[in-house]
Amino acid sequence: MNGIHDLGGMHGLGPIDQEANEPYFHEEWEGRVFGMFFANFAQGHFNVDQFRHAIERMDPAEYLQSSYYEHWLHAFETLLHEKGIISPDELDRKQAELSQAGDS
Amino acid sequence: MPLLTRDIVGGLVAGGASCRMDAEVAPKFKAGDKVATLNINPASHTRLPRYVRGKHGTITHDHGVFAFPDSSAESGTHSDPQHVYSVRFEGEELWGKDANANACLYIDMFDSYLEAAES
Amino acid sequence: MRVKALETLLSEKGLVDSSAIDTVIELYETKIGPRNGAAVVARAWSDPDYKARLLENGTKAIAELGFEGVQGEDMMVVENTDSVHNVVVCTLCSCYPWPTLGLPPVWYKSAPYRSKVVRDPRGVLSEFGVELPDSVEIRVWDSNAELRYLVLPNRPAGTDDLSEAELAELVTRDSMIGTALVAAPAS
Repeated sequence: MNGIHDLGGMHGLGPIDQEANEPYFHEEWEGRVFGMFFANFAQGHFNVDQFRHAIERMDPAEYLQSSYYEHWLHAFETLLHEKGIISPDELDRKQAELSQAGDS
Repeated sequence: MPLLTRDIVGGLVAGGASCRMDAEVAPKFKAGDKVATLNINPASHTRLPRYVRGKHGTITHDHGVFAFPDSSAESGTHSDPQHVYSVRFEGEELWGKDANANACLYIDMFDSYLEAAES
Repeated sequence: MRVKALETLLSEKGLVDSSAIDTVIELYETKIGPRNGAAVVARAWSDPDYKARLLENGTKAIAELGFEGVQGEDMMVVENTDSVHNVVVCTLCSCYPWPTLGLPPVWYKSAPYRSKVVRDPRGVLSEFGVELPDSVEIRVWDSNAELRYLVLPNRPAGTDDLSEAELAELVTRDSMIGTALVAAPAS
């Protein structure tokens, strides 16, 4: 698809920010998302092409403003919903439940 | 399909999941052939970026037979095996007079993205 | 919290074992990183036969050193010389050779790098402090399919007496992506 992910050749996206001694995961949740890719892949919920396409279908403004592991999380939510495994409502309810329990 | 447990993480990570396919598929091109990329604009998944559509290049390597992502994204399984090549495009072909001096691009192209071009 | 909710739901449904996710994270944080790629480069600089095998079939030669698997299933190694400089990108997502380089830095996955390096590689190299004369051909490799690329950097002058282990110390992550050169050791 002619999506925002197809960035080759675009102008005006700013300087390349480098970080010295960069960790793989800047926050703990990023590692959990990374690990869940393997778990979801082992379960056969989707293949890598469907995973990439789920990221490509993101809202373009959101795509540019969110991070790599946010893209992955978005793809999981999209694909698990489409495969009938977890609905957005179910995820919202679980998130609210965890918030109320004060478990951050 | 299996639950990912501690015991199988090591094997899964080390084994990987190659998209190479053990299929007898004849290559359409060989190293040295002049090719042109198709100008396609599917709404579905493709690994043919816009900046190389409708451009002329030269095959430099044949990497063998792989699943075709445009098909695999639809089917959910490795599909439509075909040859993948490294194709070289000169900077001027892609960017015209705004190209860098003495710069070129190599990109992996599936047979389905290519047609023969005049040499 | 969204991530925690997702992991909890998958776990409750019997689809995720959280201890396996701990294991994945630990494996990548401790075992899989650019020191692996540096060992490959140092071996190639020290052993001409290995270098020949590496350039002929990257996947097999890298596996000789025990590095293989996810996102390195099919590897191609491209050699920098005095007349050719290679640099790697994935414009469509962020494909990167995990077994040899680990997980990619944020800049590699960022829109600025992915958009610019194919159109203006010399400008990008300049942002990284690398200035190459026009006589050096710049080859940009856009890893859009399932091949993954590792740059074999130019061996710096004055390193003839170094051991393979000492050579590996000189090799940086960015030099194997192609956005840096390997510097000669400080004398």
